[in-house]
Amino acid sequence: MFIHNLKYSLKTLVKNRMLIFWTLAFPLILGTFFKLAFSDIESNEKLDIIDIAIVNNDNFKNNEILKESFKALSDKESSDQIFNTKYVDEEEAKTLLENSEICGYLIVLDEPKIVVSNSGINETVFTEVTNEIYANASTIENIVENEIKNEISVPNYDIDYETIINNAIAKVTESKANIKDISSNNLSYTMIEYYTLIAMACLYGGILGMSSVNKNLANQSNTGKRVTVAPTKKTVTIMSSALAAFIVELIGVALLFLYTIFVLKVDYGTNLPLIILLSVVGTFAGLSLGIAVSCIFKTSEDTKTGIIIAFTMLGCFFSGMMGITMKYVIDKNIPIINKLNPANMITDGFYSLYYYNTLDRFYLNLISLLLFSFICLALSVYSLRRQKYDSI
Amino acid sequence: MNNIIEVKKLTKEYKTLKAIDNLSFEVHDGEILGLLGPNGSGKSTTINCILSLLNYEGKIKIFGSDMSPDAYDIKKRIGVIFQDVAVFDELSVYDNIDYFCGLYIKDKDVRHEYINDAIKLVGLEDFTKFYPKQLSGGLLRRLNIACGIAHKPKLIFLDEPTVAVDPQSRNNILDGIKKLRDNGATIVYTTHYMEEVEILCDRVIILDAGHVIAEGTIDELKSLAKIEEKISVEVNDLNEKYIEQIKKIKNVEDVSYDNNVLLITYKKGKNNLVDLIEYLKNEKIVYSKIFSERPTLNDVFLELTGKGLRD
Repeated sequence: MFIHNLKYSLKTLVKNRMLIFWTLAFPLILGTFFKLAFSDIESNEKLDIIDIAIVNNDNFKNNEILKESFKALSDKESSDQIFNTKYVDEEEAKTLLENSEICGYLIVLDEPKIVVSNSGINETVFTEVTNEIYANASTIENIVENEIKNEISVPNYDIDYETIINNAIAKVTESKANIKDISSNNLSYTMIEYYTLIAMACLYGGILGMSSVNKNLANQSNTGKRVTVAPTKKTVTIMSSALAAFIVELIGVALLFLYTIFVLKVDYGTNLPLIILLSVVGTFAGLSLGIAVSCIFKTSEDTKTGIIIAFTMLGCFFSGMMGITMKYVIDKNIPIINKLNPANMITDGFYSLYYYNTLDRFYLNLISLLLFSFICLALSVYSLRRQKYDSI
Repeated sequence: MNNIIEVKKLTKEYKTLKAIDNLSFEVHDGEILGLLGPNGSGKSTTINCILSLLNYEGKIKIFGSDMSPDAYDIKKRIGVIFQDVAVFDELSVYDNIDYFCGLYIKDKDVRHEYINDAIKLVGLEDFTKFYPKQLSGGLLRRLNIACGIAHKPKLIFLDEPTVAVDPQSRNNILDGIKKLRDNGATIVYTTHYMEEVEILCDRVIILDAGHVIAEGTIDELKSLAKIEEKISVEVNDLNEKYIEQIKKIKNVEDVSYDNNVLLITYKKGKNNLVDLIEYLKNEKIVYSKIFSERPTLNDVFLELTGKGLRD
């Protein structure tokens, strides 16, 4: 029975032109559009070294960790350089910012404070790095304290504090996510667009899940009534239909990858296995979203398709599809939106593969997607538990 | 007589509407039971309750066992043709029937044979590779029926299967239903077309607003009517004087004259047509056509409820 239903579910899905357009053709068309629209600017969009200023007040001078960290990140001889730092007083920092000679400045009061005049990737990188250094400060302080204790436990009056702090930073760097050497990487802003495109394709798969499950529910479709009065367990029909939708979704996302890699010449870098893993989980999230929409909303299939498209497009918009700045604006001002936004979970997962040496943030997004899927499926199961309806 | 369905004190309420009110009836083995009533009388709701699709109060037994959503032994002996066409636009005629039949019959060879029988029964032999959108309304209804009966069920529910169907398809469908009954199936047939009930049904339950207002064979129901005969005469410019005279003829219950048609209803009695023709001849009234009819179920319904079946 499972195979019988799976076979016909696959047949109905692949022969439905509207479903195939939205889930397979539309992402390919949009990808082609991205290529045409962004190919000219792609060559100009590698991240430059970011110009910043630091207010060289006593608080900063006394904060060895911040001082050493920014010194290391501003070292022109190092391949890890991401900042070009000017050490100035507060008035001069303001003037530099007003004249757009820097993207922002750091002033250490009770806590480090970043002052920027715009929202953008440079400002975000500056803020993220500072926050990360500050967040790791206590860890570094503990390491430094232990190192110094070790040094003074034996008679040694020639302690090299700078080396100790640098070693501490290195230890933290090994265990924590850190900004990559983006200047030497094949970084492209338009990659974000392609990532959101994949996120969109994954979530659009929800239309397949919705349509497939809808056909089995008596309160949602005429065919559902006929399936429900048959001597077949609901779990069998729903699971086989969902599996059919998942298979078609995966084929759609795979086609998108193949098309963007071989036709549009998009370079996804060396993390393809992880990108595929995230895509599979993203596809599962899209399927779960579709099943939830099918089970929870009692309205026409066209309206449900509209709900999924609207949800997906809004999610992709917030995660940077129509302009990368939007992602930063949302992340900075209303972070809860993107924390709950599955499109951003997918996009941010890909993004983190680019920007971070470690996979903490990647796995956080992966787990968030699985959690999102679990919630959608739990709501669906709750709805599907009903065996009879009040009205159909 | 063996009861295939027993419905006792069935009540179904929507938020503010009591769609079915304390309904009880039985369906006997091998009969075609007609559920007749106007739109909104509760026919489809009754079927949906019997099939355990809806929540309800009351007791329903099918094949002697309590019906429930997971009563798979009962369900596999039931076929349903819903009022709205329930097929997949993406599948061909053959595949649609195969899909739904496959929910009941696992063996592919048996299924293939059953599908061909169903296609033959509804007359879709020339359309097996067509898709639903390529079919006319009538052919689509036939496909809808084939999907519901291909697994050769013992009990079949047909919920208004001939709505918006051309006469040829309608006759084909009605013939098919008779064949199903002849092959041993018990059929519950809902409609608001009284002509179909008169052609098909062994027994009829007339529903209105969720109540049974009459139940019995066609003859038993017609005997409930106060009138026994209706005669209509096409006659031009009939004088009021004649109408008054006709009203006084023996057994005449009522007379109306509209659009050059004289309609006379009679209480019980015989030779009404002969008497009327004799009167028209004596008065030298020229008429073009004259018809005599027995009362219909619509007349019965009209008398019992004060409204027509299609109001």
